[in-house]
Amino acid sequence: MHNFSAIEIRDKFLKGEISAVSIVESFLNRIATYDKEIGSFLEVFNERALKKAKELDAKLGKGEKLGKLAGITIAIKDNIHVKGEITTCASKFLTNYKAPFDSTAVKLLELEDAIIIGKTNLDEFAMGSSTENSALQVTKNPWDLKCVPGGSSGGSAAAVAARLCSISLGSDTGGSVRQPAAFCGIVGFKPTYGRISRYGLVAYGSSLDQIGPLATNARDAALVMEVLGTHCDKDSTSLPLGSDDYLNQMNSIKGLRIGVPQDFLKNLSEEPKKIFYEALETLKSLGCTIVDIDLNILKYSIATYYILATAEASTNLARFDGVRYGVRSAKAKTLNEVYDLSKEEGYGKEVKRRILLGTYVLSSGYAHAYYKKAQKVRTLIVECYKKAFEMCDLIATPVSPFAAFEIGSIKDPIQMYLEDIYTIPINLAGLPAISIPDGFSKSGKPMGLQLIGPQKGDVRVLAAAYAFEQAKPEFTAIPKL
Amino acid sequence: MANLDKETIKNLTKLCRIDCSEEEQLNLLQDLKKILDYIDQLDEVDTETVEPCYHVLDNVSNVTREDIVGETMPREVFLALAPSHAGGLIKVPPVMK
Repeated sequence: MHNFSAIEIRDKFLKGEISAVSIVESFLNRIATYDKEIGSFLEVFNERALKKAKELDAKLGKGEKLGKLAGITIAIKDNIHVKGEITTCASKFLTNYKAPFDSTAVKLLELEDAIIIGKTNLDEFAMGSSTENSALQVTKNPWDLKCVPGGSSGGSAAAVAARLCSISLGSDTGGSVRQPAAFCGIVGFKPTYGRISRYGLVAYGSSLDQIGPLATNARDAALVMEVLGTHCDKDSTSLPLGSDDYLNQMNSIKGLRIGVPQDFLKNLSEEPKKIFYEALETLKSLGCTIVDIDLNILKYSIATYYILATAEASTNLARFDGVRYGVRSAKAKTLNEVYDLSKEEGYGKEVKRRILLGTYVLSSGYAHAYYKKAQKVRTLIVECYKKAFEMCDLIATPVSPFAAFEIGSIKDPIQMYLEDIYTIPINLAGLPAISIPDGFSKSGKPMGLQLIGPQKGDVRVLAAAYAFEQAKPEFTAIPKL
Repeated sequence: MANLDKETIKNLTKLCRIDCSEEEQLNLLQDLKKILDYIDQLDEVDTETVEPCYHVLDNVSNVTREDIVGETMPREVFLALAPSHAGGLIKVPPVMK
């Protein structure tokens, strides 16, 4: 079952070859067998998933029309609301928070008859690049259990990589869908800012966040985009566009110009460099031309991001005050202690660090020097990409300077932040970007190619990913568990 | 550029309303100093004539809707999430001891 793509499973189900119950039982079995070791799920919806499966089987039996995602098992990152289920954001603060409404994303998935199979682990409040900041459990990389799955959507990536479900949703603020996808050898797509509704996604950096699909192949990711990529009137930053037909536009990429920022990539170490340049050769063999572009302003992206994202986070997380929801400190004897102690007890180190930094860069006397300055550099970054896309149709870079690292090996926060050098600028510019497997390190760990499109160029990015995948099927692989 | 010291961290924790221990404050001071040193590189960028990026996409306008009651959430749903409630209201400890 787990060897089939989501689309294949759906088609087999619709043809009556396999029942939805057997699909769900098969994946639940895999979760029970392998997830004790991997730790990707925070919660598995055994009953809920089987209930939905039985409903789908009944509907099919009666000849009723079924949705585009019928029979497809989908895991949801635990910062995205599923009504009636706990949303922890992998934080001690929210271990008792039952979502009172569905996120738009989950609502749309269920309308198309997807089977929501559980909630996955993440870095606390999506702040991190390894899932090590989860306050609740450790997630291991299915390719090497000593290593991180990446972050912050590490649980989502590990679950799909280990084939514990067909598809998962993650969220991407600085690379949190693409980087774990690369570390786990699967496809991870971040749409243009505003393409997927953020309603029901717990906000981290509101001008940067986007929900994105993780899948074993590009067509499955494109199918999810057909369902999720549409206007939502509950999200005022949602693009005023309806759904796009992605699957019928996975055309040849012959003649496309691929921009490569050679100078910006000059510090890449030998192994990722070799894999990246081999991927470029594959793109050339598909009829693309490689164009050198100047993206040197991007060296300031990490500094820009850590001012803007933390500033926005400090505002977004102010709501977690222990008053209306979440875990209130049992020691609080005054109202101020409700705030001070609930946050002290509820937040992990990285979250505290980012909230304090964000508060500092917004504070009186410093806001101009930091926040406003970063906003101006952001404009330069947006313009830099616009200029580059005058000379090319897609931009290619590696997803990460290296493959998955060992759990516990990176302790310096700045070293961790520098990891995201290739993924962060994309969020600053609101561009669509995908991670697709393009090789393995000498130690057998997956690496990813990042393809970036101009704003609203989501279809082109997915089409290119599909073409690359078809040319290099050996990189779509399942880890030995 | 950053004028970060123990006092600043103490004030920041007060602003954020997070009750950090002395040891935590010291660690945070070291971390934030390092991060702000790294961030200082933005001074190299000439942004004299650059507008701040208020929205990453072009042609955006404010979104409004009619002032008509739509979907509402019943009070019980909210209260079920509250750590403590009484008489249909959320209960908190006294403002002062």
